[in-house]
Amino acid sequence: MKFLTKINRNYLILLTVTLIVVTGSAFLILNKILLHNTRRNLIEQATLIKKQIAERSELPNIYPIIEVKKDTQNSVTKPIFKKIVIKNAREDEFEEFLEYSSRIEVKNNFYSIKLRESTFESEDLVTILTGTLSILLLSVLIIAFFVSKKINKTVWKDFEKNLQEIEQFSFTANKPLQLLKSDIEEFDRLNKVVNNLTEKLETDYLSLKEFSENASHEIQTPLSIVLLNLEEVLQQDLNEETFKKVLISMNALKRLSTLNQSLILLTKIENKQFIADKTIIFNEIVTRKTEEFSSLFETKNIRIELELLNDFAVKINEQLAEILINNLFSNAIKHNLTDGEIHVLISEDEFKICSSGEQNSLTDDNIFERFTKGNSNSFGLGLAIVKNICETNQLDIHYSKNRLHCFNITRKNEMKK
Amino acid sequence: MKILIIEDEIELLIVISNFLTKENYICELADNFQKAENKLSIYEYDIILLDITLPDGNGLELLKLIGKLNSKAGVIIISAKNSTDDKIHGLDLGADDYMTKPFQLSELNSRIKALIRRRQFDGNNLLTFNEISINTDSKSILVNDKELTFTKKEYDLLLFFFINQNRVITKEALAEHLWDDNIDLADNYDFIYTHLNNIRRKIKTAGGNDYIKTIYGMGYKFTEL
Repeated sequence: MKFLTKINRNYLILLTVTLIVVTGSAFLILNKILLHNTRRNLIEQATLIKKQIAERSELPNIYPIIEVKKDTQNSVTKPIFKKIVIKNAREDEFEEFLEYSSRIEVKNNFYSIKLRESTFESEDLVTILTGTLSILLLSVLIIAFFVSKKINKTVWKDFEKNLQEIEQFSFTANKPLQLLKSDIEEFDRLNKVVNNLTEKLETDYLSLKEFSENASHEIQTPLSIVLLNLEEVLQQDLNEETFKKVLISMNALKRLSTLNQSLILLTKIENKQFIADKTIIFNEIVTRKTEEFSSLFETKNIRIELELLNDFAVKINEQLAEILINNLFSNAIKHNLTDGEIHVLISEDEFKICSSGEQNSLTDDNIFERFTKGNSNSFGLGLAIVKNICETNQLDIHYSKNRLHCFNITRKNEMKK
Repeated sequence: MKILIIEDEIELLIVISNFLTKENYICELADNFQKAENKLSIYEYDIILLDITLPDGNGLELLKLIGKLNSKAGVIIISAKNSTDDKIHGLDLGADDYMTKPFQLSELNSRIKALIRRRQFDGNNLLTFNEISINTDSKSILVNDKELTFTKKEYDLLLFFFINQNRVITKEALAEHLWDDNIDLADNYDFIYTHLNNIRRKIKTAGGNDYIKTIYGMGYKFTEL
């Protein structure tokens, strides 16, 4: 719910409640006052009538307001008030009256007096009250609506803009957060807090990024020095034993360097340093990779079958998409059998690669873990990288094995319409 | 051919320059930004090997300077950072190639030669070794003036051997050259044998000699018989 909607809604509820309470209490109070007035009038009238009878012996009678009769009963009664309803002859409707009745004694004669006064009808009272108050409420609401609209245009505009700016902010975009200044203290305070927070986060982010890059740099450089020198040693006339030792050392160093790069890649993926700025069609990469690796398939006499039903398009960083498919392909080649097979199936919401290979004890739960390997020659990082790429790009990956080992990539559920 | 090597690690500087000197290049060295800047403003070079991370400045600034000086030099960035952003940024600023450390000297040699060919410094697009010649323009291979059909990988391999004559090249270096390090093969280099056997067979059928010598079953050397 928007802030303004919330305020307006609260306004409305508050005003409605107020209206009901005010109308209710106003009704009760006014009713009481009016009734009290009527009683007083009637008592006054009765006194006047008594005086008139005494002075002039006249019995005034105006139906239905005044009824005075000589009474046969010889006793005086206290005045009684009651409400009665009398049919109005003219308008053919019922009218409510307050009736005053008593028996009085004037000069040893007894008279019964009935005085009636039309009471203010409570229905009318309620109608008038709610009417007046509703008009009041409505005008307040209309004014509030226009005022808030005006406020929205001026005060909230900057706020909305800042909100948008924060939503679009990304550390990887390399663009500082620029918030608009407003003349409202609370907003400026918020801007200040957000600015401080992002600055702090940005420094942390950069130092982390710098660290992972520097670590790579620092390790790769000495490795390069050793490798280049060993390569030159290899050029000398070496006996077989020395030659092999140098070569084995070079390969081990090369593996160390690859391991280092893979770990740094994992960190970078986890730190979300790759921006998903493009929609990548997996089919294109797969077709290209199949072409690229064709000589590798030939070596092991692997039969490759591509079943490209529809485009599988994902919003992902291009480099990561390449690495993802590369790793799955190299996995399928590396663990494949001679005269084996690879099937790739791509449809609109699925990318599936299946390959023949030796039996292993790996399951969907542990195959993607770091340093889990079915083959001692690999690091067990390739699939960990695949899993990480999937996780950071709203993709699900599952491993299953039947006759073939299959990796199945689908979009995460919430992405589906 | 004059090469300027800009690299802050002295040990790397030495091994690279020794190698390139042996390959008949004239090498000049700069181990920091300041020295590199001075040399660039005074002398002309054909090739510049540039390390981006220098202690006293960013190599990319030197790249801008090279552009400003209107230098004809070809630039190969050698960086420890295997970062696509840096790669794209460097190439945008006018670099011709980008190599990630650690690389092999034979690979460096191949990249320098490719750059020279692209820039046509010597206008020579025909490489010849006895009866075998490679035309790098048409990407064709001739044995005794007869054209052979090579696949792209086979062509790349033979060209790599041509450029790195008399050098011991490991299977790993060949694989890396062909696949650009983007496939983890877990030390399974069977496909190299397949390619090499194909190359040998094709050249032999055309009446050529097999100059690819196998060394202890683990390395190769392209050399005179």
